[in-house]
Amino acid sequence: MAKRKKSYLKKRPAAVSVIAVAIGVLFLIRLYQVVNPLLHQQVFKEGIAGPLLTGWKVTALGSALLSSLSYLLLSAAGIVVLIGFLRLRRWSWVLLMAWTGISLMISLVNYFYSHPNYLVMASDVVIAFALNLTSVQLIFKIRRDDGQPGF
Amino acid sequence: MASPVSDRPTAPVDASSLDLLRQFEPVVYFTKGEQFFPTDIESYVRDCSLWEHNPDGRDELLVKHGELTTEKLVENRPAPFGAVRYLRYIEPLSLTEAAQMLGKQARLRRRLGYHFHAGIGRLARGGFLPRLMDGLFSLSFLLRGKVPAATAAAAEIDYNETFKEDPKFVYYGRVANQNGWTVLQYWFFSSFDSWRSGFHGVNDHEADWEMINIYLYEDSGRLVPEWLGYASHDFKGDDLRRRWDDRGQVDLEDGHPVVYAGAGSHSSYYRRGEFQAEVSLPMPSWVSEALHAWNKFWTESLGQQAGNLFRIPFIDYARGDGLAVGPGKSHAWSPVLIDESTHWVSRFRGLWGLFARDPISGENAPAGPMYNRDGSPRGTWYDPLGFAGLDKVPPPPQALQRLDKDCKEIIRRQEELERLIPEKADELQSLGIKLKGMEGNPHLAKLYAALEKNLAAQAEEVKELRRERVENIALLQGLTEQFERLKAGEKGDPRAHIHHLVTPDQPGPVFRFDRAAETWAAVSLSLLLFAVAALIFFAPHYFWAGLAIILILFVVADSTLRGAIIQTIGRVTLILAMVAALILLIHFWKWVLIAGLAVMAASLMVQRLRELTK
Repeated sequence: MAKRKKSYLKKRPAAVSVIAVAIGVLFLIRLYQVVNPLLHQQVFKEGIAGPLLTGWKVTALGSALLSSLSYLLLSAAGIVVLIGFLRLRRWSWVLLMAWTGISLMISLVNYFYSHPNYLVMASDVVIAFALNLTSVQLIFKIRRDDGQPGF
Repeated sequence: MASPVSDRPTAPVDASSLDLLRQFEPVVYFTKGEQFFPTDIESYVRDCSLWEHNPDGRDELLVKHGELTTEKLVENRPAPFGAVRYLRYIEPLSLTEAAQMLGKQARLRRRLGYHFHAGIGRLARGGFLPRLMDGLFSLSFLLRGKVPAATAAAAEIDYNETFKEDPKFVYYGRVANQNGWTVLQYWFFSSFDSWRSGFHGVNDHEADWEMINIYLYEDSGRLVPEWLGYASHDFKGDDLRRRWDDRGQVDLEDGHPVVYAGAGSHSSYYRRGEFQAEVSLPMPSWVSEALHAWNKFWTESLGQQAGNLFRIPFIDYARGDGLAVGPGKSHAWSPVLIDESTHWVSRFRGLWGLFARDPISGENAPAGPMYNRDGSPRGTWYDPLGFAGLDKVPPPPQALQRLDKDCKEIIRRQEELERLIPEKADELQSLGIKLKGMEGNPHLAKLYAALEKNLAAQAEEVKELRRERVENIALLQGLTEQFERLKAGEKGDPRAHIHHLVTPDQPGPVFRFDRAAETWAAVSLSLLLFAVAALIFFAPHYFWAGLAIILILFVVADSTLRGAIIQTIGRVTLILAMVAALILLIHFWKWVLIAGLAVMAASLMVQRLRELTK
């Protein structure tokens, strides 16, 4: 087992480590986004003390729980992608690039229409450029040596 | 794969022009669904009227329909500068006549069994953004002149009636001699080019002149075919040329070259298949320069594949599954010999069909074999060698003689250099000694300076002679090897001169969901316009963000169907990252600068400390 781990480390370009760190930063931000609404609603002190729905409308507590849950799912997905990424799996490159694209789109919409999160934006930019590096694309078999699209 | 020269058909040097043309005449394969075949100009001219478009915008009828002959065509008629003389095959149609013609055309096609089916169309092959540009190209016909659809229908009906009365397939052959080559030119005239209306191509126009060349050289009293040059759209140069013995590129049937004609366009191809032709949209030079810079950054800095959004792909269908004309086929050629003394060739400089007033000329009819649309001499006529890049290539027997002469000349020069170099080197040394002797004598300063100048020039001359000698050794080696190869009958790679080899598309394995891709290609542009309209109606405040999201979704859907989703995800994310990076740079330029300087300082410090510790 230890031997396999060593071989991954040997093949991995520096940019992969940079991306892994950026995913780690994003994970911490997402974790904060999981906890923050629950703190505001005092869920940790009082538990779920109130209805989540009134008729067809979601209450503030329901909204906070929904928001935390979605960020929790995103964090969990981030961990799965990170594991696949460190194991140099092709699917993880595709998922990460797609995820970064969606995240960037949301960040840009937020920038133009509400409050931007510059830290997320910066992490996404770093990830996007690092994923585009030839050495990274070659190792994930996204691109071939002759510059053509991967296998 | 090359075949030996002895396999080739040859003709006696004293054969008549017509015999020569007949011996090497091509077999032309058309695509199923082709409507216009090579025909004779006499009957076409009889069906036309002659017009003159004056610089003031007025069109004047010179000879009425039914009264025109090739003799009347070339009658001397003074015209003002800027006037355009043109034939009109189909007279202007009223709305009722146009509807009748379109109905008749549909019935004719049903009767003839009009079998053309485009298959995966050009739009599905090109991707979403070129499709967007194609929409603009189609809209450009609202501003440009174009040949109406009913005119194409009427031309098809008229041609079929004429063909029924006198069914013949004609080529106009010309034999020219230039620089040791004998050039056989085969000109094919069709009464209409229906590429756009019949086969989703770029343009339609009345009258169409197409041409192929066969280049022969003389060897022991026989003419031997060596090269072929097929005209294809407006291309010219080396890429058009194929060697007779290139079996991978040239098909032969009983010693006759095979031509695959593009459906509607009548362009000539060496291989059967579907060829992508691209049309670049005209744009100002600053836009071109900006695009060039962007492409450079996109490919070199970001490592992405090059692409030009402002090019629209069109397909030329040269499937060769339709009618075949030529030796050994059910339809034979009726050859007509032409040259500069043929009255309609040299004396009619006008257009052979409708002048559609299209400023970029795509829909205007062409001029004859000898002239361009503006009346200037046509390169393919006066310079058939240059047309296929053969002007720099001597015929094989002459190539041997020329190589032999060049080798002898270099050997002579080498002998001269062998004598000159020691002489000059000796003089140089003697100057050097003289100069050394002058040192320490201030009264010789003037002489010393002059001599020093002389010595520098002499040293440069000796250096040049030595370099020439070494270069000549390499050159002589190359020429001698080439001479030996030619002498042994080896001709080398038949495609060495080709920079860009045109190959047919192979759409089969490219598309994962052929049918869905085709349907999407047909409806996506309209869907996009509907989505934009809905966005304006329902969420005008979010127009730009909404538009960006809609465009991205359309591009992603399109690339999924075309099996290019991974590349698209990469490209879209990269573009978004560049926008985000720009925003970050604008807002945090000070921090970016500080971080950059800190990184540089740290890196320099590490380097210097490493040097110290080593």
